[in-house]
Amino acid sequence: MSRRIAIVEDDPAIRANYAEALRKHGFEVSAYGARAEALAAMRARLPELAVIDIGLGSDADAGFDLCRELRALSASLPIIFLTARDSDFDVVSGLRLGADDYLTKDVSLPHLLARIAALFRRAELQREPGAQEETLERGDLALDLKRFSIAWRGQPVPLTLTEFWMVHALARHPGHVKSREQLMREANLVVDDGTVTSHVKRIRRKFQGVDSGFEHIDTAYGMGYRWKE
Amino acid sequence: MKRRFALGLRAQLALVALALLALPWAGVSFVNELERTLLAGQERALLATARAVATALHDRPQLLAAAPARDDAVRREAELELQRLAESEGRMLVAAPVPLERAAELAARKAQAEITAILRGVQRTESRLWVVNRRYQVLALEGSLRRATPAPEGGMLRTAWLRVAGWVIDRPSEDFAESVPDDVLAAGRDIASALQGTPGTRTRRTPDGRTVVISAAHPIWDGNEIAGAVVVEETTNPIASLRSDALERLLLLTLAAFAGTAAILIGFATRLSQRIRRLRDEAESAIDARGRLARVAAGSDAGDEIGDLSRSISAMLERLAQHHVYLESMAGRLSHELRTPIAVVRSSLENLKLAATPEESRTYVARAEEGLARLNTILQRMSEATRLEQALRTAERERYDLAAVVRGCVAGYRIAYAATPIVLEAPARTLEVSGSPDLGAQLLDKLVENAVEFSPAGQAVNVRLQEQGRYALLAVQNKGPALPAQMRARLFESMVSVRETRAGAAPHLGLGLYVARLIAEFHGGAIEAADTAAGDGVVVRVHLPLAR
Repeated sequence: MSRRIAIVEDDPAIRANYAEALRKHGFEVSAYGARAEALAAMRARLPELAVIDIGLGSDADAGFDLCRELRALSASLPIIFLTARDSDFDVVSGLRLGADDYLTKDVSLPHLLARIAALFRRAELQREPGAQEETLERGDLALDLKRFSIAWRGQPVPLTLTEFWMVHALARHPGHVKSREQLMREANLVVDDGTVTSHVKRIRRKFQGVDSGFEHIDTAYGMGYRWKE
Repeated sequence: MKRRFALGLRAQLALVALALLALPWAGVSFVNELERTLLAGQERALLATARAVATALHDRPQLLAAAPARDDAVRREAELELQRLAESEGRMLVAAPVPLERAAELAARKAQAEITAILRGVQRTESRLWVVNRRYQVLALEGSLRRATPAPEGGMLRTAWLRVAGWVIDRPSEDFAESVPDDVLAAGRDIASALQGTPGTRTRRTPDGRTVVISAAHPIWDGNEIAGAVVVEETTNPIASLRSDALERLLLLTLAAFAGTAAILIGFATRLSQRIRRLRDEAESAIDARGRLARVAAGSDAGDEIGDLSRSISAMLERLAQHHVYLESMAGRLSHELRTPIAVVRSSLENLKLAATPEESRTYVARAEEGLARLNTILQRMSEATRLEQALRTAERERYDLAAVVRGCVAGYRIAYAATPIVLEAPARTLEVSGSPDLGAQLLDKLVENAVEFSPAGQAVNVRLQEQGRYALLAVQNKGPALPAQMRARLFESMVSVRETRAGAAPHLGLGLYVARLIAEFHGGAIEAADTAAGDGVVVRVHLPLAR
């Protein structure tokens, strides 16, 4: 049975393009142009993953509201924001509402597909506890490569998919400097340097939320970042 | 733009005030005209007097026949002159006065007394009358040309004023030679013409030249014969003193009016130019270095043209500010707005790639994707400054080692710009500043990116970091063209670029140095650009205060 994805996007061309591309990859796609319509349909039948734009028609924040409402319907439904808005403020707001990832419309289709696949995998594994684990351990850091989850000193660190891939890229070769471009590639992300910087900042903050003394992501100015053991 | 005015408003108004000088000129012309009329009147009055006397003496030839009794110096002198005159005109010589006989002397004395009585009857205080017989003998001479000199009235102030006015205006003098001078009679055309039967007048100066005398002569008829002539003389002093009084008053009034008007004009001009200067100063400082706009307050509630100007400058600034805000946000908004259509293009291309397409169309898809990538770069640059401004608002300050950041960055640049050698001079110890290391690195990125781009191929770019008092001095120097002079002050403003547009080159929106300045200011520092001392390149210096 194919997986069902809901796309909420007000631009008909983008909506159709994404929907067709996803269908070609074997997903069952329902596309909506407005918040009320999308909510009504999803209430009737919850999709397995939702891709939401923030600005819908004249309502600039409709996507945020929709995300909140979907989260209320289901705590485990993977939600991806796909939007033209790239300010830090929007990213933080979106993630705080419980979205699993935040992508700008710069993202390429293969990158989007990679994310969708990863999120489905994670959701699946979370439903089947006890499945075989594939982990990577670096001192206090433990990465679950199947569930895309990270634990620091045994405590889970709530990272988005993008953030997970970045940490993974850094921790795989501790001490090696990863340039911003490399991090982007590893995280299936096409953004500018500034966005990588703010992603790294957010990752550090999340780790510091678990361990206030966390200082293992080192900035190599002018070059990139490295994992310090 | 401030520049010294060649001719300020005040000077201009003072020049305009010179037009007031036409007033005293008109006044003087009027007074002169008046004087001429008065003199003509005086002349006629004298002639009338002479006629009156002559009329009284008509048909009394016996009076004139008598020889003159008075034998004073003046008379004799006059007679001598008259004779000389007659001689020179080739007339018959008159015998020198012979001593008169006794009887004749008595008769003459009587006649004399009678003539004198007549003369006294018409004589005025300031005129002199004489009667001349045909033989140019002065039979009687009555009166004096002098008049009583009025004592100058008023106090010291008036005296002082009169002295000052005296430099400009001649006052008639009562101190002149009264004698009948040689030339009076020598050129006594009026007397001569009177003795020919025609009344005549004449204006002459006294021998010492101090005053002017008008004389009128009228013949005395004895039947059809001319028995002699009456001469009436008067100085023009009364009229001259009237004239000088008038001129003095005119001078005083003109000076007062001129001073008053000038004071008012200068005061007015001063106030006007002050208001305009204030308006100018405010208008000049209304746009600050960061391109933010303030309102103009000077004279904004005045009801006149300057208030109007102030208000319209305010309105203009307001529109400019709106435009400015629009421009500032446009880059960010544009990049945002363009994202959606670009996403349409991109997702369409990607779908196209997924579809089974002929080889030929793959080439075009690849090219389209290349174009998209470039478009994306432009969009990112466009929103960079806006994003940075947002970031600065929320950025947290921390202490960090600038030297470490610079060393790390330069190591990165050596990889990124392999074609350009980058020379680093940095102290081995730490230089701690307060700010954000990421932003510090971004600042250096911008400076080095510029330096590398302007540097001729193969020439080194110098990055120097040193401690300078309480500041860390970061200097990035490159060889290459000097800064264009007219842009120097504006280099660090938003959307100012000194680059020439080249086809196909990476887009430049003039935001790089603006970003650099925002970051330097975030660190509490300053940034400046200058040509190198040798003039073969450019150096950008950033002063960041050291953390204490």
